[in-house]
Amino acid sequence: MTTTATPRKERHSLYAPEPFINRIPQWLSVLMLGLLGLSAWQLVVSLELVARILLPGPTETFEEIVVTAQGIVTGDHVAEALWITLQEVLWGFLAAAALGFFLGVLTGETLLGQRAVMPYLVAFNALPKVAFAPVFVAWLGFGVESKIAMALFIAFFPVIVDTAAGLATAEKDALVLFRSMGASRWQTLWKLKLPHALPFIFAGLKSAAVFAVVGAVVGEYLGGGGGLGELIRLSAQYLNLARVFALIFYLGLIGLALFTLVGWIERRIVFWHRPEPTEIKGA
Amino acid sequence: MKPQDALPSTDTRSRSRSPGARPSNGRVVLEVDGVSKVYPRNSVRALDGIDLEIHDGEFVSIIGPSGCGKSTLLQIAAGLIPATTGEPRLEGTPVVGPRRDIGMMFQQATLSPWRTALQNVLLPIEIRDGAKLARARSDTAMELLHLVGVGEFAKAYPGELSGGMAQRVAVCRMLITEPAVLLLDEPFGALDELTRDRMNEELQRICLERNATAVMVTHSIAEAVFLADRVVVMSARPGRIAEIVDVDLPRPRTFEMTAEPRFAKLTQHVRGELDLGGQL
Repeated sequence: MTTTATPRKERHSLYAPEPFINRIPQWLSVLMLGLLGLSAWQLVVSLELVARILLPGPTETFEEIVVTAQGIVTGDHVAEALWITLQEVLWGFLAAAALGFFLGVLTGETLLGQRAVMPYLVAFNALPKVAFAPVFVAWLGFGVESKIAMALFIAFFPVIVDTAAGLATAEKDALVLFRSMGASRWQTLWKLKLPHALPFIFAGLKSAAVFAVVGAVVGEYLGGGGGLGELIRLSAQYLNLARVFALIFYLGLIGLALFTLVGWIERRIVFWHRPEPTEIKGA
Repeated sequence: MKPQDALPSTDTRSRSRSPGARPSNGRVVLEVDGVSKVYPRNSVRALDGIDLEIHDGEFVSIIGPSGCGKSTLLQIAAGLIPATTGEPRLEGTPVVGPRRDIGMMFQQATLSPWRTALQNVLLPIEIRDGAKLARARSDTAMELLHLVGVGEFAKAYPGELSGGMAQRVAVCRMLITEPAVLLLDEPFGALDELTRDRMNEELQRICLERNATAVMVTHSIAEAVFLADRVVVMSARPGRIAEIVDVDLPRPRTFEMTAEPRFAKLTQHVRGELDLGGQL
């Protein structure tokens, strides 16, 4: 009589079977879901469930992406628009990073910041910041300045909040140790709190990378100029939605590129900490 | 002696050095003189009239129920928080703030994960004298790392070290400034018991080798007795010294000794004093 056969059978009944998703490599599941989405899109278009003028198919959109790429390479007006938006995003992001870091350290490190500045920041953060776009246009005109201001305005809150939160993460024992070593406030900030805050600061910067694109485009929608946002607005007016999708694709690339760059710098600097996927926020 | 009897100070001061203690010139290194601590916020009397003298080369364990103020006492001795009345004196001078001749260690190793083990050891020098002078002490730091048996991990980052190895590095960081007294706040409390036993043996070896003067706060009776020349038993609310138990076991102590009747007798005695002092 075989005694080894029974427990094996039992094991299958006692433990839940391994989920199917665990048995296929992740890249394959990502690819398959993407293809499934594209097929559904194509199906909706092929069956003409939606008027073609309102929903261009994946092939048309892809063609438009290729045409736009050719335009960018040859340096036509799309290339110009891309360059303008890119500048707005970059300057907006850099300003947001600098201002956010400064205010974050101020609120996280000083009592004045915690007691007096923080409540204002929380109140400001609750405002629909997009609504301020016309204000910036009124102040700074229709050039890139109003868009940079908008990108900065939307992007710098997460940097402040994450920097301030990060400064509070140094262990209590480590703070006592620094005090017992006679470390000055500056030394404690520079050699203990800021390094501890770096993973948080970078999480804030990654959010800012995504928000800066949002801010620049919102600024362009409302304040004109020559950027991608303006092109999208015009294409949408002519109901050239394939072109709209193509331009949004390139906007997405700007955001992704900036996000990836920040992540790359983070891995160089914060070599001791591996960010969890859940730490990556975006909008 | 019960806490509600006469002031424990008389008991402490008149006590002669225990026969089992290490040879010492009897010089007082750290003196806690009538220290009380009252928190004005809730007027809790955390410490009440603590008198304690710690001699050169002596190892003193402080044990007591939670809330007896033993960690507060250690922080007052380190100059991290002020005493309400009385004062701690180190080498004859009052401790009024953090001092470079005090070395501290905590339950967490609190190593900086962005610094190598060697750089972590040099941190106190860097804080006090700058990065340049810290680098000049690299050889001393390496010697210390070898002393505690983690010399080959000098270039490793804390993320690559086990809990026990991290605490060994923390020991080096404490010793690099050659402090007059070591203040240890449950230094191995976060380690597993096997590692903890080994670290205690190591700590004894290092203290003997360097003739270090040390005060350790602990929750473990066995650990307190194993390491100490004297065990200070405290009672809670208000924090007072209930009894000071001399540990007359020969050094170096080994784990075989912990199975001996005199070790058991000592731990039982300490436990008895703790029970008298109130809730554990």
